Amino acid sequence: MRKRILGLLCLGLAWHALPAAAAGGLEGVSVSGFLTAGATYGDKQLLPDTKAVSQDGTIENTPGFTADSRLGLQISAKVNPDISVTGQLLAKAREDNSNVKADWAFVSYRVNDPISIRAGKIKFPTFLISDYYEVGYAYPWIRPPQEVYSSNPITTLNGVDMLARFRLGDMSLLVQPYYGVSRGAQALVPQEAVTAPTAFGGLGLPAGTIVYTDFTADALHGINLSLSSDIFTIRAGSLRTKVNAPGFGVFQDTAKFSSVGATMDWHNVVLYSEAFKREIEGLANVAFPNQKGSYATLGYRIGKWLPHFTTARIADNDNPTTGFHGIPLEQTSKTLGLRYEVSSGAALKFEAQKVTPEDGTRGLLIAPPSGTAAKDPGSNVMIYGISLDVVF
Amino acid sequence: MKSLKQIWAALLLLLLGAGSVPAYAALAIIVHPSNNMAGITAEETANIYLAKVGVFSNGQRAVPVDQTENSPARKRFYSAVIKKDDSALKVYWSKLLFTGKAQPPDEIGDDAAVKKWVATNPDAIGYVDGKFVDSSVKVLLIIP
Repeated sequence: MRKRILGLLCLGLAWHALPAAAAGGLEGVSVSGFLTAGATYGDKQLLPDTKAVSQDGTIENTPGFTADSRLGLQISAKVNPDISVTGQLLAKAREDNSNVKADWAFVSYRVNDPISIRAGKIKFPTFLISDYYEVGYAYPWIRPPQEVYSSNPITTLNGVDMLARFRLGDMSLLVQPYYGVSRGAQALVPQEAVTAPTAFGGLGLPAGTIVYTDFTADALHGINLSLSSDIFTIRAGSLRTKVNAPGFGVFQDTAKFSSVGATMDWHNVVLYSEAFKREIEGLANVAFPNQKGSYATLGYRIGKWLPHFTTARIADNDNPTTGFHGIPLEQTSKTLGLRYEVSSGAALKFEAQKVTPEDGTRGLLIAPPSGTAAKDPGSNVMIYGISLDVVF
Repeated sequence: MKSLKQIWAALLLLLLGAGSVPAYAALAIIVHPSNNMAGITAEETANIYLAKVGVFSNGQRAVPVDQTENSPARKRFYSAVIKKDDSALKVYWSKLLFTGKAQPPDEIGDDAAVKKWVATNPDAIGYVDGKFVDSSVKVLLIIP
């Protein structure tokens, strides 16, 4: 009887403690989250047997409510004033079984005021917004420009990073070196490799097939330098790693990224711009050729509205002309977007994007296999999107 | 007779208060009495509240606390000291929070709760309506 009462009491306590913890009421524990509900539509069917328009299959020639939709939940607990533990779970509607994965899971140790060290699973900043890529509310577009952001399929590392922040007058300098490995990442196999005959090292699958391959990255190390004021942020970063893709016989091939970027929010003018270069050696270059890309976004805030325009490009970054090498994807796109602040913590976004594949490639779109027909989807493809982004 | 006294008192108050008594109560930036800072600027306060620095200019750790949303003191503090609107602030914190870089200040409660918190936490910094100030806390800045 006493045990039962005790049990009931515990249950009762837990019942009351949970919502309190969830509301951030439990001292030292905070719970927060973000949500994106989005729909996209590509205006052309590019291949007879598939509705997929983009080669990653997220954009289809049928209105879809899944492509951009996701939910993130973050729990952070302070162990003491210097040590905290943070976990972030991410569920993407895109993944068939809607599996939930830990996107972040780390222990943070504050060494002194400017320096913290984090260890565990960390999203590292290849680009300006890489580490908050999933938090749609934090940026103007529905999807950050894919000509830049799709170029690095590795987004998290198991390892350590250091955040060193220094005040320089009114500005703040962030120096963030990181080191680790990546396990369980998946990369999209380019259409050339999917559709090319097996004899030529391809998979010999029907055009429009979307294949992801598992790969790992070792000795992933890089640095992110970011100088920011109340008005602007300027950043530069580089990273280097050795990639392995057992399915394609890729072993310890060096991959290098370097990038620069800037963003500004001054009076009502909003500006974002970035550029990157990717260089990949060895057999890995067949699937991941050397590429470069850039984009520029200009927006003007009018009350709760932020209309913006983006021009973006992905191109060949001097691929080798002999030996095994992949075919670089080339495209340009122009995007007209509108963000509306529904309330503090909720934004509604609309976008219309014109994608133009270039130089005889299919860009980031799906296209018939090489040899049988021109790979170029022929003309522009329009991609329309709407999304609601919330943080809580 | 009584009413005359009241009028005199009112006049005296008006004279004393002329120019110093604002239309609404002043906001006080408060710390623990043991904090040896003599004062603080609005800019330094904003840097602490936006997690740009984690220490006071004297090197002591600074732990800012907020009042609950919609409290008049909080509204006043954010418009006068932080100078960011709600949406801009939400975007600002989204970038820091979801990348594990920093957490927004804890919400403690109303003026009385914040005063009590600051009075018992040596590293704390808070803001309260001026009329809540007493000897249990130290005032570093008055926002008139």
